[in-house]
Amino acid sequence: MATANQVRFDNLLKKGDLIESTSEMTPEYLKELKHTLIVSGDTELISAPAYYMATKRAPSVNAFMTGIAIIQDELAHAHIAYHILEELGDDEETLIFERDPKSFRYPYAFDVPLESWPELAIANAFYDQAGFCLLGDIHEQCSYGPWKRGLVKVMAEENFHLRNGRTWMKRIAAAGGEAKDELQRNVDWMFPLTVEWFGLPDDRKMHSTQLEYRLKGKTNDQLRQWWLSTVVPYCESIGVKVPAHQEGENWVLDYPFPCTFDAAEKRWDFKDPCSWDDVLVRWRERGPRNVQMVADFQESYRKLRAARQQ
Amino acid sequence: MNPDDRIWAALAEIQDPEMPINLVDLGLIYGVRRDGGRVDVDLTFTAMGCPAADFVIEDVRERLLAEPDIDEVRVRVVWDPPWTAARLTEAGRDALESWGLAV
Repeated sequence: MATANQVRFDNLLKKGDLIESTSEMTPEYLKELKHTLIVSGDTELISAPAYYMATKRAPSVNAFMTGIAIIQDELAHAHIAYHILEELGDDEETLIFERDPKSFRYPYAFDVPLESWPELAIANAFYDQAGFCLLGDIHEQCSYGPWKRGLVKVMAEENFHLRNGRTWMKRIAAAGGEAKDELQRNVDWMFPLTVEWFGLPDDRKMHSTQLEYRLKGKTNDQLRQWWLSTVVPYCESIGVKVPAHQEGENWVLDYPFPCTFDAAEKRWDFKDPCSWDDVLVRWRERGPRNVQMVADFQESYRKLRAARQQ
Repeated sequence: MNPDDRIWAALAEIQDPEMPINLVDLGLIYGVRRDGGRVDVDLTFTAMGCPAADFVIEDVRERLLAEPDIDEVRVRVVWDPPWTAARLTEAGRDALESWGLAV
């Protein structure tokens, strides 16, 4: 028999009202909300060390400041997600500093090193656009009030990151020659990696609890289409090639999806399609930078804690 | 509209890259001088470490060069007097407050 809380929860959800506290949730909703928040917090957090490595290669003082400001924004966005998790009973310090690197839940793309300014520009234009689609959808649809409200400013700041990415991609493409060739080579590996960002296609993912609980409003494929509809026309407008085209209302990929990726070489093999099970294995094993990025920000925390205990 | 008003109106079309407010309402524009097809713009930033400085200058140049009788735009960054919230116009104050920024 449904408990009184379950009935109240079902009614709130059905009416489209916001849920404001744990007393209004079912344990299953709380679990799914926490999972969604951890993915969001981890993604924002790990983008900081990922972007920092490329920001160090900024071509001007102002560009360096812009890169650092973006990193600062990302850390603040991570804090918003972890802070809500604290209010839901988790501990922010434990989540950030005491988890095993492999248990962080961010997209695989961040595990592949960003080593140059053009790679950062593409990351701001592609990865932050993916973040914009995912968080924009949550901001619009999310049934949990505190998160929905926390995302208002996040969205505005993500716009600035997109601006940085798009502006620099355009400048580098306009420069032509080897600079443009390098940009194109990086787009070639970063574009398919961001297409993957949105997860399993809808025909492989029959049931979504996140949709059922209105933690998000769009399916994986709908989000992927949204991303393609912004990124593909922009790349084409600046003379950068991407392996996708429009057919009617839909955006269609010009390569087998999924296919194999060599992270060390940053190269896709479009002649070697693979299964989603293969992709899930690659994601679970994590990529080249996972351990190092997490170790970097956990190291000083551990040293300080050890010093305090002496 | 006289030519100077037209320049101010054009500058008021440029949004700050980080906040939903235009450059004129934010109080960044200190002065505009016109000499034939050339325009000199004095502007400031809310902080010396403004991460969007490059974008703001680029936007000012692009927007003013889109005016038919302007063929050169010179931007001078000014730090004295420093920007404070007192430079916000009333519309600017409303815009920032509605965005959730206490000013």
